[in-house]
Amino acid sequence: MIEKERVFDILKNVISLSSADQTEALFMGEESYLTGFANNYIHRNVGGKDCSLSVRVAIGKKVGSAMVNSFSEDAVKKVVHDAILIAKNQRENRDFVSFAKPEKRKDRNFFVEATANCTPEFRAEYVSKILSKTKAKGFIGSGKFETNTLEVAVANSLGVERYTKLTISTLKSVVLTDTSSGYSEYSSVDVNKIPLDDIIRESVEIAEKSQNPVSIEPGKYEVILTPYALADLIGSLSYIALNARAMNEGMSFLIGQIGKKVVGENVTMYDDGFSQETISLPFDFEGVPKKKVMFFDKGVAKGVVYDTLSAYKEGKKSTGHSLPQPNPYSPYPMNLIMEGGESSKEKMISHVKRGLYVQRFWYTNPMDPRNTVITGMTRDGLFLIENGKITKPVKNMRFIENIAAALNNVLELSKERKIIYDMASVTAPYARIKDFTFTGKTEF
Amino acid sequence: MQEIVESALFAAKRAGASYVDIRSIQREEEDITTKNGAVDAIKHTGSKGFGVRVIANGGWGFSSSFIATPEEGERVANEAVQIALASSKTKLEDAKMSDSKVHQDRVPQPVKIDPFEIPITKKIMILLEADKAMNVQGIVVRKGSMHFSKEWKTFASSEGAYIEQERIVSGAGISVVATDGKEMQVRSYPNSFGGDYQRKGFEFIEEMDLVSHGKEIAEQSIKLLLAKQCPSGMMDIVLESPQMALQIHESVGHPTELDRVLGEEASFAGTSFLTTDKLGTFKYGSDIVNITADATIPEALGGFAYDDEGVKAKRVYLVKNGIFVGYLNSRETAAKLGLEVMGAMRADNWNKMPIIRMTSINLEPGDKTFDELIKGIDHGVLMGTNKSWSIDQNRLNFQFGTEIGWEIKNGKIQEMVKNPTYTGITYEFWRKCDGIANKDFWHVWGVPNCGKGEPIQVMQVSHGTAPARFRDIQVGVLK
Repeated sequence: MIEKERVFDILKNVISLSSADQTEALFMGEESYLTGFANNYIHRNVGGKDCSLSVRVAIGKKVGSAMVNSFSEDAVKKVVHDAILIAKNQRENRDFVSFAKPEKRKDRNFFVEATANCTPEFRAEYVSKILSKTKAKGFIGSGKFETNTLEVAVANSLGVERYTKLTISTLKSVVLTDTSSGYSEYSSVDVNKIPLDDIIRESVEIAEKSQNPVSIEPGKYEVILTPYALADLIGSLSYIALNARAMNEGMSFLIGQIGKKVVGENVTMYDDGFSQETISLPFDFEGVPKKKVMFFDKGVAKGVVYDTLSAYKEGKKSTGHSLPQPNPYSPYPMNLIMEGGESSKEKMISHVKRGLYVQRFWYTNPMDPRNTVITGMTRDGLFLIENGKITKPVKNMRFIENIAAALNNVLELSKERKIIYDMASVTAPYARIKDFTFTGKTEF
Repeated sequence: MQEIVESALFAAKRAGASYVDIRSIQREEEDITTKNGAVDAIKHTGSKGFGVRVIANGGWGFSSSFIATPEEGERVANEAVQIALASSKTKLEDAKMSDSKVHQDRVPQPVKIDPFEIPITKKIMILLEADKAMNVQGIVVRKGSMHFSKEWKTFASSEGAYIEQERIVSGAGISVVATDGKEMQVRSYPNSFGGDYQRKGFEFIEEMDLVSHGKEIAEQSIKLLLAKQCPSGMMDIVLESPQMALQIHESVGHPTELDRVLGEEASFAGTSFLTTDKLGTFKYGSDIVNITADATIPEALGGFAYDDEGVKAKRVYLVKNGIFVGYLNSRETAAKLGLEVMGAMRADNWNKMPIIRMTSINLEPGDKTFDELIKGIDHGVLMGTNKSWSIDQNRLNFQFGTEIGWEIKNGKIQEMVKNPTYTGITYEFWRKCDGIANKDFWHVWGVPNCGKGEPIQVMQVSHGTAPARFRDIQVGVLK
């Protein structure tokens, strides 16, 4: 890590070197380590350091940007020069008003020393414990144990100065048998809070119980989605609906629907980077503090997230959801949270007459984003529920579902929720949903 | 670079590595995007760094850094060995690699027009002219993009390899979104998700002639709003070559990756139905299906002179006369099965350890004209340009959707249909291929965004293909 004082020296130097009307400098540093395992041994064990210095300048309404991964005097001068040269050759962006202005907000610490200092030996020890179990069972262990440290700082010529460090650790276990697989994953800022035993238990148990699956016919089924599966489903909305870009480009199903009931009354969903139930930076990549944005309040559509450009365009304030600019995916909800209910996984199962328990989805992709229709496969554990009990494992199936319709068909939500982290954080409960549509099947 | 190479190789060997390689990349990139008549973003990116890969005590280790100094080379090499020793605590056997000829070479990539010599203003002008052409009433979003990159890569190993190679890439595309408030329809040119990419200079952008195609895709997207839904049922289909590229990518490229087959990607990307007992005997497709992995095509995005293990680029068959005959492999996986290494180990940058990736995976041309493919169909659908894709983790059940389709009746293309989708099981689908257009219709499509691996790597691959016909396919599964 470069550390705060040195980072701000670099960023302030960028601003002082720039002759543009406005200048923004974004620093991102990363030390990332990943111990990958497959076939019951560590097969890919990698790590390294990288960083980037992104400079964005505005000359009037002409905006240019350049990035480099060096802080040498020459590199810093060149990146500022390149950004200005681009801006000068640029056409005016009629939507551009200004980079972010400073806002006061207390920062939050997501940095844990133990994660930052985690060693290859520590990761190998955790992996060994998983593999001891899979080998003892005659199964095959695969997965990853990842520990990352991020350092992010933003400064601009309008007075924004933000700095934070964040650690993230993720342990994933995928257990294979001859005829099945099981899955478990957990992410935390603190490597010592990874529940190793729970991860081993869940992934081995699902793999064991889903052996020798039977084939059933596609059709509409009542489903219980684990937080992994539900996070995949609602996470798709982040890109296709819950942001100002999707609204602006005519893609979001929320166009003309704000203030109206669009999903079930038992569905409340929001983005909150300051929640205790997420993994987050306290500000976005323009240096704007993250604000809580309600998407669905008891089923009623409330709003979407903004970055500075999209906010100015609509005469609003940024909600602190910019990705590193320029970026075709910005703004983006990075801390999606769905409120839970009063139920539990066990109660939900007992309430199903005939349905499916879905451990996880795979390769979900929008087919018709405007109507929130997506398709995907089940993976790593699919079970038939009959008369309130899980009765048999089922071969994987393809689903096509309208996410908004599924969120209108939620029958129960669990109190228990999990944080699923994969570039962005999604916090989701177990959900019992009626009339979920499966359209095809596969051979395993 | 020479000093860092020597420092890293020496340090790793001293720390106990039995094998070491070091790979450095210096890369320059330029991205321009336009949207609705304005420049959306222009970005110039410069990056450099190196990664050291080692085997120590039979385990693999890799570390990397952006600080290009001999001292950092030594630190990174030592860290790679430390990581490898941690790996070795769980080893079931020592990591081994097949023998491969050791090369010393320097391979520049000549291009007609260096894309970095073309002023940004000219690139902007082309995209905004295309944007203007797409400005048809009813269109809500018009987008254009160009990408250029130039890199210089150095690979050296403890076996004595020292290879330098240059890579220059140009790519561009345009797209539109039309909506009537209830649905949206998209059209792209020359392909979706960023267009087309090749290892060529700015001449590739000029050949595309984006401006001339803007109006056509805009009008098509408007017509799609009014078009009837794609029919459903079992019927014949013809896939245009951009969609064929996606079909090859998902249902041939990925399942033939030997690391997937051997379970090494089970945690994320998945495994493959192409188990090793199928090699040489499995009926993958009909007799006319011949598919190669060819890294030697000079302009193909998936091509190169040497892979990231220093193996010289090759052309090998994956499927010959419909029979599955070859895998994409690495020196380690080739050794496990006693196969000849074919050179498919690639990393997307200096900070990633190479894994098995597609090169240019190509369906060899057939003997039909496009009209002959259509004439052979009583009732079916012609489908063009990918819109959505999904496939299971063993690469069997797939479902793909395209931006546009046309119903075919009595051997003739009829009216436009919207939301075409088709689904199938990989090998059943390829066995139903009964016509492939000839070399006049063949094109190598660049796919710049193939994701695989943990940590994720985004690789540039390509697919040469012509339009092809498939019989009795499940069409129109969209509700």
